[in-house]
Amino acid sequence: MAKRILKIDALTLPDHHYLDAQDICYYAGEYTAGEGHAYSETNQLIHNFKKTVDKRGTAQWQYKERAILQAANIFRAAIKADAQITFAPIPPSKARSDPMYDDRMLRMLQFVCKGRPTDIRELVVQTKSAAAAHLSESRPRPDDLIANYVLDESLAEPMPSTIFVVDDVLTTGCHFKAVKRVLQQRFPDANIVGLFIARRAPKSVDLDFDILE
Amino acid sequence: MTDIDAVLSSKPISPSREMGAYEALWAHQKTTFKTIADCFRNSPDAMPSELVSEDEIDTALSKVLDEVARTRIQDFGVRVHGSEDYPDRLRDAAHPIELLYYRGWWDLIDSPKRIAVVGSRSVSEEGIRRTRRLVKLLVQDGYTIVSGLAKGVDTAAHTTAIENGGNTIAVIGTPITEYYPPENKGLQDLIAEKFLLVSQVPIWRYAQQDYRSNRLFFPERNATMSAVAQATVIVEASDTSGTLAQARAALQQGRKLFILDNCFRNPKLTWPARFQEQGAIRVTGIEDIKAALG
Repeated sequence: MAKRILKIDALTLPDHHYLDAQDICYYAGEYTAGEGHAYSETNQLIHNFKKTVDKRGTAQWQYKERAILQAANIFRAAIKADAQITFAPIPPSKARSDPMYDDRMLRMLQFVCKGRPTDIRELVVQTKSAAAAHLSESRPRPDDLIANYVLDESLAEPMPSTIFVVDDVLTTGCHFKAVKRVLQQRFPDANIVGLFIARRAPKSVDLDFDILE
Repeated sequence: MTDIDAVLSSKPISPSREMGAYEALWAHQKTTFKTIADCFRNSPDAMPSELVSEDEIDTALSKVLDEVARTRIQDFGVRVHGSEDYPDRLRDAAHPIELLYYRGWWDLIDSPKRIAVVGSRSVSEEGIRRTRRLVKLLVQDGYTIVSGLAKGVDTAAHTTAIENGGNTIAVIGTPITEYYPPENKGLQDLIAEKFLLVSQVPIWRYAQQDYRSNRLFFPERNATMSAVAQATVIVEASDTSGTLAQARAALQQGRKLFILDNCFRNPKLTWPARFQEQGAIRVTGIEDIKAALG
C-alpha cells in the first residue's frame, strides 16, 4: 500500500509561525537535515529537488530530474485519480525572465496531472523577483508578499472549487498564507489547502545545497 | 466546508491523533508489543487511530500531553508507520512498532553506517576499556553508534562516540518523559539536543504502572535498537543479561551479530558458544567487524 501523507495538526502547528488551526496543510515528510548531514530520503529528496538551475548540464542534474519524478509519484499516489483539483504553485522566487528561474514545481505538477482531471494554474504571480526564502536575510511577512502578488485574471475561469497551493518545503507558512489570502479574495467559496513535499522540523539546518555533494 | 480529506487516496496522518491512539491501544488490559503487532498483522493498512474510538484517543491524548507538560519537554516528535519518514527496516522486528517517539535529529536514523554497541550494566573495568577502544575506532570509520543509554557498556559507548566527534543514537527503555538511570539525565538531554533519542515506550501506560511492570519495556526496546542498526556488537554480558535479548533479536532480524572474543574466553559463560552456533561472529577487533560488514 502506498504511504500516506500527513496533515499539520496540534503537535506540529507551533513550528509554522503564520499558520493557524483553520489552515489545512498536507506534507509527505519532514525535512530534518542537520549541520553537515542530510541522510534521510526526505532530506535527500528536498536537496535534489532544490538544486539551482545553474547545475543544468552537470552530472548533478540527473538527481534533480529524479527528485521531480519522485515527488510527483508521491503526490499522485496520495491524491485520488478522479479528484477535481486545481494546483496553484506558490510563485517561484525568480520571475520567468530571470536566468535563475526554476520551473521544477510546474514540471512536477505536470507529472502529477498526467491523464487526470486535475489542472495547474499559476493563479498568483509575482510582480518582481525576490530572493529565495532560504537564501534571503530578511524574513518577509505575508502582507509584504501580498503587496508583490497579483491574481492572473486570464486563468480565473472556470471557477476552481478546490485549490491545492503547492510548494516544496513548508517553513513559517508565510508564502502559503499570502497566496491563500489572494486566492480567497477572488474565490471566496473555494476550498484552499496547502500541499508540500516536506515540512521543516524546527531545528533543521538550511544547508547550502551543494556542500553535501 | 466539505471534507477536503476525501480527495486523498487514504486518510492523512495526524501525528497527534496517532500518538493518542497508540497510547489508547496501550491502555487496554494485557496489551503487549506482541498483541499490538498482532492487531496490525490482521489489519496491515490500518493506522492506530482506525483501531480505537475517537473518545479513547481524546482521553489518552490529554493524559499524554499532561505528562509531557509535567516534564517540560517541548522538542519531541513522532514517527508513524505508513508515512515516508518511517524506516522500512524497523519492520524486520518480530513485533514491529507502529509509532515511535523521538527527540533530536531524526536524520541520524538514516546515517549510512549504523552499529549497535551493547553489553552489561555491571561491566568490568576491562569491559569499559574495550568499549571505549572499539567505539573510538568505529567512529573514526564513520559509524553512528547506537546503544540503549543504560549503565555500563551503553553509557561508555554513547560518551565515547560523543567525545570522539561521532554521532550516536539512544534507543531507550523508558518513555521520552523519563530518565533511567537518573544519573544519565545529563547524557540523555545532551543526546536529545545534539543527536537522536528514540523510544517506543507508551508515556501514559508507563506513568500508570509500577517499576515491576515497566522494567519489561527494557528488553523489548532491544529489538528496535537492533532493527535501527545494521549490526550489533556485544562487548560483555552475563548468562542472564538483558543484552542477550538483543542478540536474539539481531539474529532473528538477519542482522550481523558480533561477540567480542573475551566473552568466549570466560569459562563461566555458555551464551557466546550458543549464539555462535546460531550465526553470531566471534571478533577480536574492528578489523574483523569491517571484514564481515564488507
